Amino acid sequence: MIEQPEPKTDVLAKRDAIVAGLRHLLPASGVIAEPLRLKPYETDGLSAYRQVPLAVVLPETTEQVAAVMAFCHAQGVRVVPRGAGTSLSGGALPMADAVVLGLMRMNRILDIDYADRCAVVQAGVTNIGITQAVAQRQFFYAPDPSSQLACMIGGNVNMNSGGAHCLRYGVTANNLLGLKIVTVEGEILDIGGAYLDAAGYDWLGLLTGSEGQLAIVTEVTVRILRSPEGARAMLAAFTSNEIAGACVDSIIASGIIPVALEFMDRPAIHACEAFAHAGYPLDAEAMLIIEVEGSTAEQDDLLARIRDICAQHAPISLEVAKTAEQSLAIWKGRKGAFGAVGRISPDYLCMDGTIPTSQLPAVLRRIGEMSASYGLQVANIFHAGDGNLHPLIMFDANSAESFHKAEAFGADILRLCVEVGGCLTGEHGVGVEKRDLMGVQFTEIELDQQRRVKSAFDPGWLLNANKVFPLTAALRA
Amino acid sequence: MQTHFTAEQLRDPGIASANQVLRTCVHCGFCTATCPTFVLLGDELDSPRGRIYLIKDMLESGRPATEEVVRHVDRCLSCLSCMTTCPSGVNYMHLVDHARTYIEQTYQRPWHDRALRAVLGLVLPRPALMRAALLGARLAKPFAGLLPKTGQLPLRLRALLRLAPASLPPASHLDRPQDHKPVGPRRGRVALLAGCAQTVLDPAINAATVRLLTRLGIEVVVAKGAGCCGALAHHMGKHDPAMDAARANIAAWCAEMDGGGLDAVIINTSGCGTTVKDYGYMFRNEAPDWADRAARVSAIAMDITEYLVRIGYTPTRAAPPLTVAYHAACSLQHGQKVTDAPKSLLRQAGFKVAEPAEGHLCCGSAGTYNMLQPEISSQLRARKLGNLHATGADLIAAGNIGCMTQLAGDTLPVVHTIELLDWMAGGPQPERLATLVTA
Amino acid sequence: MMPVDEAGVVAAIQAATTPLRILGAGSKLPMLRPVQAPASLSTAGLTGITFYAPKELVLSARAGTPVADLVAATAAEGQHLIAEPPDWRRLLGTDAAGTLGGAVATNLSGPRRVAWGAMRDHVLGVRAVNGSGEVIRSGGRVLKNVTGLDLCKLLSGSHGTLAVMTEITLKVLPAPERRATLVLKGLAPVEAVAALAAALGSPYAVSAAAYLPATEAARIPALAWLGESVTLARLEDFAPSVAYRSDRLRADLASFGSAEMLDDAASLAAWADIGDVVPLIGQGDALWRVSVRPSLGPAVLAAAQAAFPAQAFLDWGGGLVWIAGPATVAAHDAVAAAATAAGGVWTLMRAPEALRAAVAVVPPEPAALARIGRQVKAAFDPRGLLNPGRIVAGV
Repeated sequence: MIEQPEPKTDVLAKRDAIVAGLRHLLPASGVIAEPLRLKPYETDGLSAYRQVPLAVVLPETTEQVAAVMAFCHAQGVRVVPRGAGTSLSGGALPMADAVVLGLMRMNRILDIDYADRCAVVQAGVTNIGITQAVAQRQFFYAPDPSSQLACMIGGNVNMNSGGAHCLRYGVTANNLLGLKIVTVEGEILDIGGAYLDAAGYDWLGLLTGSEGQLAIVTEVTVRILRSPEGARAMLAAFTSNEIAGACVDSIIASGIIPVALEFMDRPAIHACEAFAHAGYPLDAEAMLIIEVEGSTAEQDDLLARIRDICAQHAPISLEVAKTAEQSLAIWKGRKGAFGAVGRISPDYLCMDGTIPTSQLPAVLRRIGEMSASYGLQVANIFHAGDGNLHPLIMFDANSAESFHKAEAFGADILRLCVEVGGCLTGEHGVGVEKRDLMGVQFTEIELDQQRRVKSAFDPGWLLNANKVFPLTAALRA
Repeated sequence: MQTHFTAEQLRDPGIASANQVLRTCVHCGFCTATCPTFVLLGDELDSPRGRIYLIKDMLESGRPATEEVVRHVDRCLSCLSCMTTCPSGVNYMHLVDHARTYIEQTYQRPWHDRALRAVLGLVLPRPALMRAALLGARLAKPFAGLLPKTGQLPLRLRALLRLAPASLPPASHLDRPQDHKPVGPRRGRVALLAGCAQTVLDPAINAATVRLLTRLGIEVVVAKGAGCCGALAHHMGKHDPAMDAARANIAAWCAEMDGGGLDAVIINTSGCGTTVKDYGYMFRNEAPDWADRAARVSAIAMDITEYLVRIGYTPTRAAPPLTVAYHAACSLQHGQKVTDAPKSLLRQAGFKVAEPAEGHLCCGSAGTYNMLQPEISSQLRARKLGNLHATGADLIAAGNIGCMTQLAGDTLPVVHTIELLDWMAGGPQPERLATLVTA
Repeated sequence: MMPVDEAGVVAAIQAATTPLRILGAGSKLPMLRPVQAPASLSTAGLTGITFYAPKELVLSARAGTPVADLVAATAAEGQHLIAEPPDWRRLLGTDAAGTLGGAVATNLSGPRRVAWGAMRDHVLGVRAVNGSGEVIRSGGRVLKNVTGLDLCKLLSGSHGTLAVMTEITLKVLPAPERRATLVLKGLAPVEAVAALAAALGSPYAVSAAAYLPATEAARIPALAWLGESVTLARLEDFAPSVAYRSDRLRADLASFGSAEMLDDAASLAAWADIGDVVPLIGQGDALWRVSVRPSLGPAVLAAAQAAFPAQAFLDWGGGLVWIAGPATVAAHDAVAAAATAAGGVWTLMRAPEALRAAVAVVPPEPAALARIGRQVKAAFDPRGLLNPGRIVAGV
């Protein structure tokens, strides 16, 4: 198990008083403190790490969040914010002395403004919920992480989530206008609003991706965009990773930025095909899903250009969707990739490094070698346009040895990503999973600089103190 | 996901199956978003993933079920929306069914809860008792206002009284065991699950089914000895009565399969269909001959709309200009994954078909759920009706008597899909549409 | 001081005992508050592109590299700087060529911002020296990176008050093959913003949207011939797309009147002038930039015009209001009040030092946020050396 900050003995000692205090602030169903009922809150989308919290609270309003924060601040109680609990990096892992602050009940859409192209939503609205709310007017919210069905916008903000279409539309940070936050002391603040580019410090940019280290996000003002007239995908399969990588380079060099450019290696193709029956070529070593947008004629034009480029790279198959339905079929396997791997292996770890795209073939080769030496299978899914690599390491959680191997394998992959000029995480966040690898990417001076920024918001390190930064002596004591 | 069962525990075939389900789950949390109770209550404990975790903990520990676990498992509608969503193929249905049985065996419910469940388990599957009970409820309806406004028991009694229809149609002779001969040359032979509660609440559904099938050249058998499918008992965790009911049906239909032959067992109540299709699994650990027979029955079980798509349906008259809001019953869309057949048949029949927003969410009926969990159920009902109204449709069509009863009493008339299909192919206009269309 | 490498920046800061005025080429010194410091530290000596991988859409350069050099380098590869950083030498009355460091430190973007994001949206990585003389990096050389706190965003737009950026990595994109601009003539501001909302809310990927009253439009050569107020929506993409979308957009906006189209060359010229705020060059002694909800841009415009003889126009679909007027506290208060009433923010872009020192050049923050701001400043610059008082007096 991962090392946790030393629980505060004084907090553990006054547990009953803390729970009683919380019950004064929230409706009865909003405070969970019975051991059996706390258990399902011990983990999130990364179930290898677990810790039952002191209590769970489920506020329904920003004012309730503020009251909880003020109370916890006064009592010196640590707080772990939680949205849908879909984090793949352990972003919602509790601590034994911490209150988990779940924002799932704050699931209302407060305002939609089509003229100004923005929407105000509570933190517990799901990512896809925003798009569904504006779809009837042909608008959408652009970032689309694979978990978009379930993950919540508050979590997206805190993790600066990406998705398959961020090559064109950017990540969460690029699609936000404002936040309502609650500080660690329980003060409610509005950051930004329905306008672009604040005049002072870019608090919005700093808070986005801050993994719950700085404040609690309770409301979000997002940009909504008009949907394109249509979108269609094509599929190109190649005999080697190198060739597929060269094809990606050629597409970008031609001046075309597809809205999505996804790469799957052989094991990923096989896993997804078994699940989705999308008609993926099983004899390929690498496959690209390339999506373009626009009117039918525009799609035809772009797809023809891309097909010509692909054709120069000796593809073993090229399939251009002729209809939106065919396009969906092409996407189906990719969208279900994580679950598909779940069908062939009882458990997997999903890595999330980013690498310079030119390094892809070399990195995949090294991962292949590591896979052989660790004796664990891995399937690679890659946002080829932006270099975000998702190796899915398959293991058996019922075997401690298998899990430790998978952890070590994952760490090796991430070190490799940094070594070739990339980073530890492209969109899942550091969480607890990559916390102890931060020193691979940052110097101690740089980490201290980041820690001082956290301290400026949260001097007592009450917010999510077990994440992002390698534990300091102060937290261990 | 990691599990912690001992080798000893895993020798129990029920635990072994549960372990398999749990190991398939990767704890991704996708299921939470489409779970009606999570959407309403916003608590991990009232989501599929949370329940899976509670169940895992309960089974691993081997201790009796506790109030906390029972509360959250009871709140599950078994709508199986989570199974449609799950990318990993977790069979939540089998896990929660196992948990319900475990709860029933290890947990002592409060007396009034036990009593109500016993009464429901006794009455609903027996048409004669049910008819008598509903007559009683009808007499009691005016006194519903005298019940206290809070407390589990009064709320449940209010729900019972609300659900009881103001009048009951007479029982139909069509539902008695018999062979309904096809009109014209015989194209096929099927058994119809006449059902239990449905024959009391709305005999018109079976009547329309028999009329339409026989007109299409299908011989329809109501098999002697067949009755309740067992679902009601099954979902209350009452293992033995559920198996007894299923065994009676299996025996009756196998006799027909071995006698006059059957192309299909037709079910027009999708809640029952899901269970009949699962007989094979339910009997997997029984004596081999029963396991085989159960599997044979499950293999030919079909929803009426699936069967109509297979044999072909053509309307014989022009449809009136009505927009039908198709309400997808959970048991049909999630339990049996029958999603397109009813809609395409209604379109073939000439209706304009509208689909409500949040079509994946349960209406709150869910077998006995609307009687046992009236608060959540009524919230879901209101939400569903809101979405159905927003379609601007003239009426609602559904393929499950439970949903029909749940959604009744609103301004939109509710009919069974088969009634509309029968009407457009030579049958009578459904009575509930009398105010909508003057024939 | 103008060190020629990062070590020089480190040495300068470590040696400093009194505040430093931090600048690049100094092209934006006339904006915000004047910094009272005995010495200056310029990054203009740190020049040169250090890395450019067009196929990876990534470009790194030292902070003092002129923006014009980057524009040229990317153009040579058929690419461009996404946020369209403007050239405000003439506007602000300086002759220094703006640097990359300055463009990022001020987070000032051109017309494309409304559709494709601000400068800060495309900063992938920075190297910087904090107030203790420590080198810190954030981000990196890849397009997607959420590792650790995003100090790139915090430093973007921090006006040199937290750290001195020495090297910056940007995302770049292929430049469009063709541009065209739809022009609606003679609309009043409210109508114009409604038309722009329809354009930006269309599926045609409008990449810029502005409104200029007749007087202001007349100061842009590419628009002067139209002789009326102009409402402009730009399309940029492959030539067939631009042709197709021009027709569709014209049809969709038909209710706002018949439209003219500017061709590629005229579009380039017109939008460069709009980005460079050419209509307000030499107008008034003070210049404000107000960012609001787009539909409220006309209200801010009207409020300013009611308060003083304002020269003004709208960019970003109505959400960016440029206002020139007298350099008086009363005029400033009127602009601030209008921005506040519209729920937006203002920046005093140019004014005599006396006014800049006397008023809040940006909106004051709530007490709790201001406290966090001071703590963040101290977290980077505990000795208070870097550009003190640039944004807020005393910080």
